[in-house]
Formats: sequence, C-alpha cells, structure tokens
Amino acid sequence: MAIRKKPEMINQQVGWCGGCGHGIVQRLIAECCEELGLVEKTVQVVDIACAYWSIDTLNCDGIAGPHGRCAAVATGIKKVRPEANVYVHAGDGCSYVIGLAETCYTAMRDIPITMIVVNNGIFGMTGGQMNPATTLLGDKTVSSVKGRDEKTAGKPFDMLKIIETFDIEYAARGALYDTKHINQTKKMLKKGFENQRDGKGFSIIEILSPCPTNWKMSPVDSMIKLEKENELIFPVRVYKDRGGEK
Amino acid sequence: MNKDYSLMKGNEAIAEGALRAGCRFYAGYPITPQSEILEYMSTHMEERGGVFIQGESEIASMSMIWGAAACGERVMSSSSGPGYDLKQEGISYLASYNLPAVLADVMRYGLGDGEITEGQDSYWEATKGGGHGDSRQIVLTPSSVQECADLTYLAFELADKYNTVAIILSDGAISQMIEKCYLPDALEHDKDKYDWAITGYKEKNATKVKVTNMDRTIGHEAWNELMRNKFKTIYDNEQRWEDFMVEDAELILVAYGISARVCKSAVRSARAQGVKLGLIRPITVWPYPDQAFQNIPESVKALVTVEMSISSQMAPDIQMASKFSKPLYGYLSTLYVPKTEELVAYCKSVLAGNENALEVY
Ligand SMILES: Cc1ncc(C[n+]2csc(CCOP(=O)(O)OP(=O)(O)O)c2C)c(N)n1
Ligand code: SF4
Repeated sequence: MAIRKKPEMINQQVGWCGGCGHGIVQRLIAECCEELGLVEKTVQVVDIACAYWSIDTLNCDGIAGPHGRCAAVATGIKKVRPEANVYVHAGDGCSYVIGLAETCYTAMRDIPITMIVVNNGIFGMTGGQMNPATTLLGDKTVSSVKGRDEKTAGKPFDMLKIIETFDIEYAARGALYDTKHINQTKKMLKKGFENQRDGKGFSIIEILSPCPTNWKMSPVDSMIKLEKENELIFPVRVYKDRGGEK
Repeated sequence: MNKDYSLMKGNEAIAEGALRAGCRFYAGYPITPQSEILEYMSTHMEERGGVFIQGESEIASMSMIWGAAACGERVMSSSSGPGYDLKQEGISYLASYNLPAVLADVMRYGLGDGEITEGQDSYWEATKGGGHGDSRQIVLTPSSVQECADLTYLAFELADKYNTVAIILSDGAISQMIEKCYLPDALEHDKDKYDWAITGYKEKNATKVKVTNMDRTIGHEAWNELMRNKFKTIYDNEQRWEDFMVEDAELILVAYGISARVCKSAVRSARAQGVKLGLIRPITVWPYPDQAFQNIPESVKALVTVEMSISSQMAPDIQMASKFSKPLYGYLSTLYVPKTEELVAYCKSVLAGNENALEVY
C-alpha cells in the first residue's frame, strides 16, 4: 500500500482523541490545499469545538469562530479578502444546530467559501450530548441516556437535502469508514476548494465521522457503526453540482 | 471653514461619519429607531468600495463584522433595544480577540420589546455590559446630529488606537432629529497596515496569523496584564465631557444625549429667572468623566441626574465620580423626553428643600 507523504502544512501533533475523524479530515484538507497550491492563500475558520485543535497545527492563517457562527465569520473574511482560500472546519452541532441560520444564509447568499462539516452525530467537545440534527433515533448519549426518542427529541434531519434546494455551487456527503470512502471524500473536498479557486459559489462537504470517545466504542466499532447505521440515514453522495460559472 | 455640510438625520450622520472614517464593512439587521443607519449604508457603501450585508440576525451580523475586523478592515454594526442584546455575544468575542470595531446602539425605551420610542435605559448594558467576561468598551454619547457624525468618526480612531469595541450610545430622539451637520474629511483606511490581521496572501515561510480567544499565544498572566493596562490607559486618557455654566452654579444637572439638550435650555431658562443651574454633560460614559467632578464649586448645593429611565442608571457613576460629596437628586422621565420648564420647576423645588434625594439601590 502506498503511504501518502504527510503534508508540510501540518506542523505539529494534533490533540484529537485516538480514532477521531477530525484528524483525517484535517489531513485531507491539508493534502487538497497543497496539491492545489493554495496553502499561502488559505484562511481556516475553525469552530470552538473539537475542530478547534486545528488552529495551531495547520500552517496557514486562521481564526477560531464562535460555536455556531463560523459561516458568518467566514463571510466577513471572504468579503474583505476575496482572493483568499477561505474554508470552515466545524462540527455538525455548530453548523446545523446553533448555527443553522448562519449556515443556511451563507448558502443562500452563495458566499464562495468551502464549508466542511464533520457529522459525528454528537456534541463531541462538551462531552457527548445528543445532537438534535444528527443523533440517530435510539442512539444513547449523556443527554439521551435511554436512546434518542422521537417523541421528546424529534427525528434527525438531512441538512444537505435542505441545502441542495438553495442556488449553491456544490453539496456532497462523504464518509471516513474505509479507504475507498476516504479517497472519495478527498475528491469532494478538492472539488470544494477548486470551486472557490475558480470563483464559483458556496460549497459544502459534510463528512460522516466517528467519535469513539463519546460513542463509547472502539475506533473499529465506530467505523462499523458509521457504515451500517449512520450512512443509512445520511447517504453518501453528491447532492448538488451546479457546475456553473458564478 | 469646512463648507461640506448637509441637513441630516442623526442616524444618517452616524452612517456618513462612519463612511468618512474609512468604514468599509457594515453588517446589521433592521430595528427601529436605528434602521436609517442600515439603510444609508445599503445605499452608500458600495459607491465607496465597501461591503454592505443585511444579516439574518444581529448575532450573525456581529460575527460577520468580526471576521472582517480580523482582516484589518474598519467595520461597523448597529442596533437597538432587543437587537442590541443579541450584539453582546459579538462584543465579548471581539474583546477577547482584541479586534477594533464600532457599534451604534440607538436606545429605545423599555424592557423586552419595549417601545420604539426614544429612551435612555440601555446605559447599564452599554457601560457595564458587553457580554460575558470582564472587558470595557469605550462608549460615546452624541447630543446633536453634528456629534453623531463627529463621535462616530472619533469612535473609529479610538477603536483602532486601543484595539477595542467603541460604542455610539445614541437615543431615538437624537438619532431621529434632522439638523445641519458639517461632515468630517473623508479618509481611506489601509487594511493591510497591521501585522495582526489575516491576509491569506503570504510568502511561503512567513509567519501565519492566528486570531484566537484571549490571545492564547501569551498566557493568562500576560493577557490579564494586557487587558488591565488597556482599560487603565483608556480610563486615564479618554474621558470626555462638556461643562456648561458650572462655575457659580447652585445646582448641577448631569445628563447626556437628548436629556442633556433639554438640560441646556433648562440652565438658560432658570438663569433668566435668577436660578443658577449648571450642567455637566458626559460625552464618554465609559470611561466615565470622573475628572469633570473633581472641582465642583463650593456654591453647588446638590447634583441632579436627568435621564429617561425608571431607576437612575447613571447615579452610581455620578456618586463615585463626585465621591459622594454632594446630595444627588434625580429627574427620571422614563419614556418621555424631559420638558424644560418642568425640569426648572423641579430644580427650584429641590433648592427649596421640597424634594427627596435620589434613592440609589
Ligand atoms: C454559545 C455556545 N453554546 C455552547 C457552547 C459549548 N459548546 C462548545 S462545543 C459544543 C458542541 C460541539 O459539537 P459539534 O459542533 O458537533 O462539534 P464536535 O465537538 O462534535 O466536533 C458546545 C455545545 C459554546 N461554546 N458556545
Ligand atoms: S471527543 Fe470525539 S470528536 Fe472530539 S476529539 Fe474526541 S473523538 Fe474526536
């Protein structure tokens, strides 16, 4: 098996738990930015959640956006620095729960940024509470100890189905549970960065990702859950590709 | 003399003052009585080469100006009443990241949704608030349309000088009135002049900019010191106020904004009737102009705060500034703009010993 060279853009050890998907996502981001020659133009906006660890470890300009507001912070940055390669790396709690409005309106305004949402089905940073948008029915969390119940907590929803109805450039969902899907996810991310480079509109890439710590599972079992359970509710595919000039 | 004047609303003067100060990014959400700031920006920002965004909420708008401020741009937002509450999150984050920004709060009256009429009861929120954590924001209070322009212009200078949020605390009356206004010279701001700003266009080996919470690069001790020094320097150097006929006064009125305008006419009217009133008008309410109260003349028998609120929100600041040296009375007109002759009558009554001193609780 060919081992990929570690991107120079990653300059320190990272702080994520063993088996966490955020690390893979960060690595893929770095590979894409390097391969596209965008590193020196890149500005990362990380959520004040588990994505935050990325601020020190990636060798590019960066700002830590408040929990929920990353898309709005990125809007401000992209408007003032239109030539910069501005991406958001945030959780699904940040992007779809507290920051639902910010994410939707950034999409509706078709702001040409690359938004990367890590769907780990849980609030990781705060210790594993239910995510109203993505925790599956029946999944146990510290705020749904008997398993998520539709009667009290409603059902999870597929945000990309909502976002694909907006006039945006690109929406896709990838997953990290095997090499094939990691490679596919990288292609999606690359497309998201290329769109921005080429002056096209808003791109969002959601990534199904494990949180072994808060799922209270081994990294391997987490990957199996992702494939066998989460992907059934959150299908991996390209939802929208406008393919246009903007 | 600068002949560049217009007839403008206070809100428009705030917006034009901002544009002339080099503001090139505005994001906001409509709410009465400040909406003309947003409307003016929507009409005139683009012609100055800047960015206007009508945000989906006050919270989102604050986060947008935060991102833009981190890039070194001169940025502004504005709101009122319930909308200003939602700005608090952003103020706290901007303070935490040491970023300059200007925010206009055009006060309206009341709690909750309150009223859309003029009021002065967001003083506490503006001067003592600013979201969680302890930080201080410079707060400037215009008392005329001219000052709406001038103080906004100044707010950008001060925000920049101290890397802080500067607030224009206006009120519905001042911001809605139309007056002649001389406009300050337009200047261009260079967003690339700071080494702390995000550019995203770097040489390969150049240091990358990290804009983080409470400047994580320096450690908490150094951070505390940095902030404390900043607040102290602002306190020492930026107190602003206007004295009006205080030298021989028997009673000194203390008021800002619309109330201060009424107080001025009350001072004139009372003096015509042989009653010696004076006025201290704070222009900054943080830092509070303590220096204005250092040499209150012997002739002064008492102070009277004049505000549009239920409790006097300014009273503790006045007492601290005057070191409790004089009794304090309050003329608190809630949602009504104080009336000159009623105020004069109240002052006469205070001097005649018929009024109770203000209860400050
Ligand atoms: C306004 C606000 N509310 C709550 C929090 C606490 N908080 C920090 S991260 C987080 C949830 C993180 O979940 P998610 O966005 O899914 O990211 P993850 O950590 O799982 O990657 C919460 C609730 C906060 N920082 N700010
Ligand atoms: S808590 Fe979960 S999401 Fe956060 S670093 Fe650990 S494994 Fe990753």
